[in-house]
Amino acid sequence: MSATKPVILELTDVSLSFQVKAKSFDRGRHHVLQDVSMQLYDGETLGMVGRNGVGKTTLLRVLAGILAPTKGRVTMARGKSASLLTLGLGFKPDLTGRDNAFLSAMLQGSSREQALSFLDDIKDFSELGDSFDEPVKNYSSGMRSRLAFTTALMTHVDVLLIDEILSVGDAHFRGKALAAMEARITGKQTVVFVSHMADQVEKLCDRVIWLDNGNIVANGDAKEVTSAYAESVAQRRKDNIEA
Amino acid sequence: MSLFQYAHLIDIMARMNLRADATRFFLGYIWWVLEPLLWVGVFYFVFVTIMASREADFLMFLATGKLVFVWFSKSVTTASSSILGGKGLLGKIDLPKTLFPMAVVQEGIYKQVAVFVTLGIILLINGYAVTATWWYLVPLLIVNYVVIVACAFVGACLVCLARDFLQLISLGMIFLMFTSGIFWDVRSLDPEKAKLVLDYNPIAFLIDAYRQIMMHATAPDMLHLSIIGAAFGALLCAMVLLMRHRSQYLALRALTA
Repeated sequence: MSATKPVILELTDVSLSFQVKAKSFDRGRHHVLQDVSMQLYDGETLGMVGRNGVGKTTLLRVLAGILAPTKGRVTMARGKSASLLTLGLGFKPDLTGRDNAFLSAMLQGSSREQALSFLDDIKDFSELGDSFDEPVKNYSSGMRSRLAFTTALMTHVDVLLIDEILSVGDAHFRGKALAAMEARITGKQTVVFVSHMADQVEKLCDRVIWLDNGNIVANGDAKEVTSAYAESVAQRRKDNIEA
Repeated sequence: MSLFQYAHLIDIMARMNLRADATRFFLGYIWWVLEPLLWVGVFYFVFVTIMASREADFLMFLATGKLVFVWFSKSVTTASSSILGGKGLLGKIDLPKTLFPMAVVQEGIYKQVAVFVTLGIILLINGYAVTATWWYLVPLLIVNYVVIVACAFVGACLVCLARDFLQLISLGMIFLMFTSGIFWDVRSLDPEKAKLVLDYNPIAFLIDAYRQIMMHATAPDMLHLSIIGAAFGALLCAMVLLMRHRSQYLALRALTA
């Protein structure tokens, strides 16, 4: 199915490594990605699974143009833009939720007027109520996640790179966030979606890649790859218990 | 990102930083004026009260030198750690790396407006008149701004390469504070030494130029000012090109620091 669609983003033999102080890596060189080649097709939802620390976030950063590969080539279709949605850092704790949401929207490419027009929607969707005008330092971690997810949802780019942002808030908000994300994904949006939750990936994605130790070990049908990944996780867990 | 949006973003980031800063302190925005005045007060106490310096108008002399220097040193020092400090954002969005030091410098400008107004009031209260010579402040302020931005870019890149540069920058600021004629008058040195200081220390020249204009109603050496402006303007352009060309490398350094 994907092969008939135009390629929007392509990686060819991409490796990324950097120098670290500790000598525990290859003579102080940490190889995060090694000879990764992949294609992303226009309008598809590509899932990415893998353990912690195998290079998923780094690969997303390369796809978003935040980091350049040490070796290899990244080719983005002309005039297309990509943005990484991730929870966590980026908020100023002394500013209110409103100010932070406004700043985030502007940093993600909105004009001042667009950013201002988003604020009421962000307030409603995040269900923060009057806390929206309180400093973020007074928020619980769930409230911060809700604000971050809702602000991220407002981004409009050609390629949306989503890093583990659906594990937010309580069960009620998680359901709402998933529904909002599904609506986005089933449209014409091109998405790369990273999650630890294999069932979520299988449900949302057309195709899945499995990353391990900086390499793609499987690339194909969502159900097949997520099953193989889930089996590997179960096997690793079993090995750990036996050891 | 268009130039208009870039400028808008710098302004918004600077205002947000100021607002966040003000909420942290009980006295909020009052610190903008209070901090530089306290600096001057401390030095006045040391040099006039304890060391009994008898130089005429020493407070004015000191206030002008110190307040101009604090603008430079605080902007450059804070901007130097700005890319590293912005790594939370850098890991999410591919932003121009100049944005971070520029937002800090812009924040410094907003504070400096309050400082210059305070300085002007102190000068007027002490009997100094506003003369036509004050128009020379316009090119002087522009060159001062260019010097600050160029140094802020250099500092921000160096600190991205190695955090150790922060130590050297702090030390460099102390060195400049003592060699730029803040507590002493460059013109009181013998002519050869004065020329040496003014030729090789642009900050000393800028501080002296402010004093010449505001305290002595004398125009600064415009050729010298132009050379400083051109040299630092060239450095600024080179840094913009470098930071644009090596944007992803700077991001990697900041993210893995």
